[in-house]
Amino acid sequence: MTGKKKGKLTKVLDYLKYEDPFSKGVAFCPGCGLELLVRFIPQVLGNDIVITGTPSCSAPVLLGQNNQSWHTLSYFGTLMTGAAANATGLARYYRKAGIKNTVVCFNGDGTAADIGFGNLSGAAERNEPFIYICYDNEGYMNTGIQKSGTTPYGASTTTTPFGSASKGKNLRRMNLALKMAMHKIPYTATATLSDLGDLAKKLLKAKEAKERGFAFLHVLAPCTTGWGYAPENTIEVCRRAVKTNYFPLWEAINGKIRMTKIVKKPKPVSTYTELIKKFAHLNEADLQILQDDVDYEYCMLGGLSVLEAECQLPASLED
Amino acid sequence: MNTKINAKANSQIKVITGNAAAAIAAKLARPDVVAAYPITPQTEIIEQISKFHANGEMDCELITVEGENSAMNAVMAASLAGGRVFTATSSWGLVFMYDAVLATAGARAPVVMVNVNRETPGIIAVSSGQQDMISTRDSGWIFLIAENCQEVLDLVLQAYRLAEDYDIQVPVMVHYDGFYLSYLSEVVDVPFQEEVDRFLAVLKDQPERTKLVPGGKLGCGSHGILGGYLELRHKHVSAMERSKAKFEQIDKEYQEIFGRSYGGQVEAYRMDDADVVLVGSGSMCGTIKTVIDAKREEGVKVGLLKMRMYRPFPGEAMVKALKGKKAIGVVDRSLCFGFKGGPIYTELKAFETQLEGSKMVSFIDGIANTDITTANVETMIDTTCGLAAGKEVREVTWICYPEAQESDAEKMGGR
Repeated sequence: MTGKKKGKLTKVLDYLKYEDPFSKGVAFCPGCGLELLVRFIPQVLGNDIVITGTPSCSAPVLLGQNNQSWHTLSYFGTLMTGAAANATGLARYYRKAGIKNTVVCFNGDGTAADIGFGNLSGAAERNEPFIYICYDNEGYMNTGIQKSGTTPYGASTTTTPFGSASKGKNLRRMNLALKMAMHKIPYTATATLSDLGDLAKKLLKAKEAKERGFAFLHVLAPCTTGWGYAPENTIEVCRRAVKTNYFPLWEAINGKIRMTKIVKKPKPVSTYTELIKKFAHLNEADLQILQDDVDYEYCMLGGLSVLEAECQLPASLED
Repeated sequence: MNTKINAKANSQIKVITGNAAAAIAAKLARPDVVAAYPITPQTEIIEQISKFHANGEMDCELITVEGENSAMNAVMAASLAGGRVFTATSSWGLVFMYDAVLATAGARAPVVMVNVNRETPGIIAVSSGQQDMISTRDSGWIFLIAENCQEVLDLVLQAYRLAEDYDIQVPVMVHYDGFYLSYLSEVVDVPFQEEVDRFLAVLKDQPERTKLVPGGKLGCGSHGILGGYLELRHKHVSAMERSKAKFEQIDKEYQEIFGRSYGGQVEAYRMDDADVVLVGSGSMCGTIKTVIDAKREEGVKVGLLKMRMYRPFPGEAMVKALKGKKAIGVVDRSLCFGFKGGPIYTELKAFETQLEGSKMVSFIDGIANTDITTANVETMIDTTCGLAAGKEVREVTWICYPEAQESDAEKMGGR
C-alpha cells in the first residue's frame, strides 16, 4: 500500500485493532446487519469486553448452547426485562473490586425501546459506567417480525400487517436516541453500517465516555428477512437511510447534540423505502406521512443541536 | 415473643426493629453490591443501609434502582461477576422481579435477599401474610423463615454461609412477617464485626467459584438444550437437597461463635413428650410457644414444630420430629388456591404414610394482618386435641374468618 493514497475502506480497517472473536460461520441470515455490527464491536473495543445479550436474534450466536459458544468473548445471557440492570450489576462490581472492564449491554430495539426501556432509562439516570448499544432492526425479528416502538409509520409487520383495512403500522416511531440524550448522559450517538468509520469513532468515544458514566449507541441494523430486501442490499439500505435523513447521524455529549454528518441535499424518503418490501404497499399519500415524520424528527434534532441543521417544519405538523 | 439473650462480650445488646436487624446483618456481612428499592413494609431496611453508606460505615456499591426487577437483575449479575450482594423486597416487589428471581436461581448466583412477607397483588392489601413466599416457592431458591428480630439478624448471616458455600451455590431468601416483625422493636444481640468476619471467613478458604471476568472467555446464561438443561436442573435439585444438612451444620457453627442455636431446619419446642403438635412458621411461633406453656400448666401434652426452612421442604426432619404423634395441626398464613388446606399442610400431607398414623388438620390464620391471638392458638390446640381424642374435626378451618365455615356448611359460599 506504500505510496498509495488510503481509500475509505482501509481507513475503517485501521480501527479494527483486535481479532474477530466470532466463528467464521454463524447462525445468522445472509446479509444480517446485526452480524456485521456484533463482529465489528469487539474488533474496535477489544476482546476483553463483557457483552450481555438477551433472547433475540443475537441470542443464538451471542449466548451459546450448553457449554459451547460461537465466540470467545465473556458474555452474560440474560432477560429482556432487566438487561441494563444486569450490566449495571457487572460494571458496579468490577468498579468495587478494581477490575478494569468494558461492559457492553447489547440489545435489540424490543429490549431497548419497549420491554427494557424502564431499566435502560434508570441506568442512564444513575449514569452507570457501561456502554449500551441498541441494534435497531425496527421490530421483534427473532419471534417473527412483530411491531416495536421503533417500527416506522406504514411498515407491515406480523402484528401490523398490511390488509384491506390496514396500511401497516398506523403510528409514528419513537426516537429512542433523542430520548436517551435527554438523560444528559456523557455520550449518546446514532450510527449505522454504511458509515463504519463514523461507527468506529463513536464506539471509541463511548468507551472513553463510560469512564465518566453512561454511553448509549443507537445503531440502525437492517434486517433482510424481516424487512424484505435483497441480502446484498444491507449496506445500501443503511446508506439511503442516512441520505434521506430517515436515520440522521449525530452525537450528544452530556446531552448537547451535534450533527456528525449533514446531508446537503436529502433525498426523498421514497428512495429509501423503494428498496424495502415492508413499505411496498404504501401509496404517495402514505409515503408523505412518513416523509413528514422524517422531516419533523430532523427539525426537532436541528432545533436541539448546537450545530443547527437547516430544516422546514412540515405543514401537516404545524400547530 | 421469647428472645433468649446470650450476652457475651463479643456483642452489643440493642432494641431494634426486624428491619433494622436485617439492615445491620447486611452491613455486617460486608456485601460488595447492594440494590435498593423501597416497598412497604421493607423500606426501613434500605433506608438504614443508605444511611450506613452515606456515613461511610458501609463500603459497598449502592445501586438505587428504578424498580425491583432491576434490583434482582443487578445483584444477580454482580454476584455472577464474583461479588457478595444483598437486596430486600416484599410481596409486590417480589412478584415484579419474578423473572429475575428465576434467572438468579437458574444461574446459581449466591444472592441473599430479605423478603418481608406481605399479601400479594390480586386484592390490594397493605398487610401481613406469607402468600408472597408461597407464590414463589418453586423458584429454586432456598427459603428461610425467622420468628423474631434476633432470628432475622442471625438468619441473614447464616444465609451467606449457605448461599456462598461452594457445595451449595443457591440463592437464599430470608422471610419474616411484615408489619409484625418489620416494625416491632425487640431486644437483639448484635455481634461485633470481627465475630461476623470470623463466622464468614470459611467462605474465603473454600475453592473459588466460577466468576464472569472481562476477557475471561467464559459465559453464563447459555441456552440449555436437552441434556445440558437437564444436567443443570438436576445439579440444582441436588444442591437444594444438600443444603438441608449444610444448614444444620451452619446452625451448630453459629452457636459455637455466637451462642445461639435454633435446631437447623426445624425448631422443636416442648416436643419430646408431646401427643399433640402445632406446626407453624414465622412470628406466630412466639404466640404459640406462650400458649403451649400455659396449656402445659394444665397438663395438656402439646408442642410446637417451627419450620425455619421452607425450601427445600424439610420433610425428613419433620417426619423425624412428628412421627407417632397423635394429632398435628398445621397453621398456614397463606392460601392454596385450588387445593384443600393451607400450602404447608398440603405439602406435609405428602409424608402422611411416614408419620405412622398421625392425624392431620389444617388451620388458616393470620391472613391480611388478622392477629394470630392467644385465643386463636388455644382454639387450634383444642381442636387438634379433639382430633387426637377421636372427635370428628373439620379438615380445614379458617380461624381468622369463621364465616368460611358457615358458607362451607351451606355448600354455597359467596361469589
